[in-house]
Amino acid sequence: MSNIAGKAYAMNVITPIRWYMTWINKLIFKTALSNPSTLKGLVTLSLIHYARWVIIPRDGFPRLDPSQPKEELNYSYMLFFSNFNGSWDQYVDSFTFAIPSGLDLFWKWNVRYPKSVPLTPFHNYIRHNQIDTAHYYNAYPMASSNDVKSAQKIKKALINFNTASADKPPEEFLNDYNKLLNDMQHHFGDMKPTPIVSLSADAVRKRYLQIPE
Amino acid sequence: MTQQLDLSDIQGNVIKAYGRYNFQKARYLFLRIDDGEKGRKFIGAITTKVTSALPWGKPGDGSAPPIPQATTNVAFTFNGLQALEIPTASQRGFPEDFIMGMAKRKDILGDDGPSDPANWDKVWKEKVHVWISINGQSIDAVKKRYDWIQEQIEASNGGVVLLTGHRGEKGEDSLPYQDASVLYDATGMPVPKEHFGYTDGIGDPVFEGQTNVAARVLGRGKLMRDGTWLPLATGEFLLGHVDEAMEYPKTAPSPWLLAHNGTFMVYRKLHENVGTFNRFLDEQSQIFDGSKEMLAAKFAGRWRDNGAPVVHAPDDVGKAEWDRRYAAADDAGKKKMLTDFTYNEDIHGAKCPFSAHLRRINPRGSLEFGVSNAYDTPGALVNRRRILRRGLPYGEVKDPARDDGNHGIIFMALNADIQRQFEFVQQQWINYANDFKEGNDKEVLLGNHDANNPGKVVLAAEPGSGKPPHFVSNIPRLVETRGGDYFFIPSITALKLIAGGIVDPT
Repeated sequence: MSNIAGKAYAMNVITPIRWYMTWINKLIFKTALSNPSTLKGLVTLSLIHYARWVIIPRDGFPRLDPSQPKEELNYSYMLFFSNFNGSWDQYVDSFTFAIPSGLDLFWKWNVRYPKSVPLTPFHNYIRHNQIDTAHYYNAYPMASSNDVKSAQKIKKALINFNTASADKPPEEFLNDYNKLLNDMQHHFGDMKPTPIVSLSADAVRKRYLQIPE
Repeated sequence: MTQQLDLSDIQGNVIKAYGRYNFQKARYLFLRIDDGEKGRKFIGAITTKVTSALPWGKPGDGSAPPIPQATTNVAFTFNGLQALEIPTASQRGFPEDFIMGMAKRKDILGDDGPSDPANWDKVWKEKVHVWISINGQSIDAVKKRYDWIQEQIEASNGGVVLLTGHRGEKGEDSLPYQDASVLYDATGMPVPKEHFGYTDGIGDPVFEGQTNVAARVLGRGKLMRDGTWLPLATGEFLLGHVDEAMEYPKTAPSPWLLAHNGTFMVYRKLHENVGTFNRFLDEQSQIFDGSKEMLAAKFAGRWRDNGAPVVHAPDDVGKAEWDRRYAAADDAGKKKMLTDFTYNEDIHGAKCPFSAHLRRINPRGSLEFGVSNAYDTPGALVNRRRILRRGLPYGEVKDPARDDGNHGIIFMALNADIQRQFEFVQQQWINYANDFKEGNDKEVLLGNHDANNPGKVVLAAEPGSGKPPHFVSNIPRLVETRGGDYFFIPSITALKLIAGGIVDPT
């Protein structure tokens, strides 16, 4: 069990929300999605690979089988699911100080949400409601979402370059090639294994892969 | 100023970079405590000479004590606090990073290969409990204080042992101390340089409670949305004070008096591979469109000769222009030119590369990547990652073509939370670059470059210019860790409590 796989940390947080208030959150989500500038902080945070918020109605929890008794829940729940760089302990500060009002808006109607600043009550609230990742598969352990996005851009640019410039005379070809390098200059980061962000997670990984100390 | 610090309680090295007060020489001692009671008595004796952060007066004006010939400061490892027998309940309050110590954090810090603890000076294989620093106006003043400390060790009657095992100038490997010194130019004048030739120690953070904040805060505090600078919260650098998260640092042990006005120190002996650096710079500048000095400046974010920030002096022509303005400026103007800048006008890194040392350790507002008002405040990702830097170069470069001499930097970082501040910067920003959208590209100068799989950085060109960026490839390991540990610098009150054996967290 580890919340870390490759360059990603998986976070699942499920928090109770009064069922008669969920319409407000749904409205907030809808507004945010239709008006992308409200999410620009989240999108600019290059440490975040992915983030999603979902409301689960109190009668909406799945049952494995009709014979499983239905639960009577007092609350609906908000599921927050995210993959990001590093670990929660390392990056809680970056979330909190970059987008405190966004976090407060999304969690505002959740039961006992403490606000994002000061930091310790927020950190504890998330940790308390976090469901640790029992199984975590990462198809590209050496890639963060920035690496994937860069690779996609370079691939597309190279194909276009090949189509447009492959048959040009040397001088023009060089010009086009230099222009390609200039256009792609922020997408050439090396892709190598992740730094070790947690000694305990690293110990788990080494035992699992039977890497000697 | 909203905060008045008790400067008589805070150790002087926390607030003052002694080098700025003409302390050109330093000596660092590491000790082991073999007997708790004798050890406490020894600490009590040393405490009588510990230098506080009180301001010094000018000679003869009588308002404050004048600058002393030598200063003394003390700090402890976790094992040292145990050896001094502070209560278990107090020990438990210390953070995990400090309890483990630096060697065991090597995987976090990237201290691998030549930087692995197996290759450190022998002293780091000993049980290091106490750090004592002496800074002197002259080497004689340092020696005099050193002799006095040796007398106290003698008087401890076996309770305290001065550890040997530092590498020295003549190939020794068992010196009982680490000496450090400013470097001197050809005329014998002290210069604020290190062995690669860079001008060092310009932009230390400024926090609430320091004196003369208004004059120093530009470029050194926290950047606000309106472009002004405010001092950082005291609690980023001193325990027992409110920090940027509007709470007291969580890393503080109990009782309050043990933690209050104390801080944590990272001590690192960093060897500089001068020969490799000079060769690498020569080779790389052959294929670089600009002078060798310009390339050196792109590595650091400052020009080597006078520390001119590359963002305002991006090439050889820009540097000449900057130098003219610098020469014409008065003292205050010169300081402002060195520190007061952001990367707002250089959001793509065409002037100061993303990989430059300066931009990596303090990105200022640039992690918003030019997206207007992306975060609550421009420094949202930076303000919790700042460190105070102390220290001096050590050794002498006798042959600039060789790596194997005794030369480097004694680097000390002071912060309230080693994991959140120093370790984060070292790991995420120096040895990794996802936050800068540069993948695994490490910082050129300090990165733990791997000889078998060497890295590169990209020096961006002006976007849309059609010019290719410059690739700096096959970067060798330029700096190697030769030792170090994590220390707690208590307040002077806390020193007295520890020495008296009266720390009580009840």
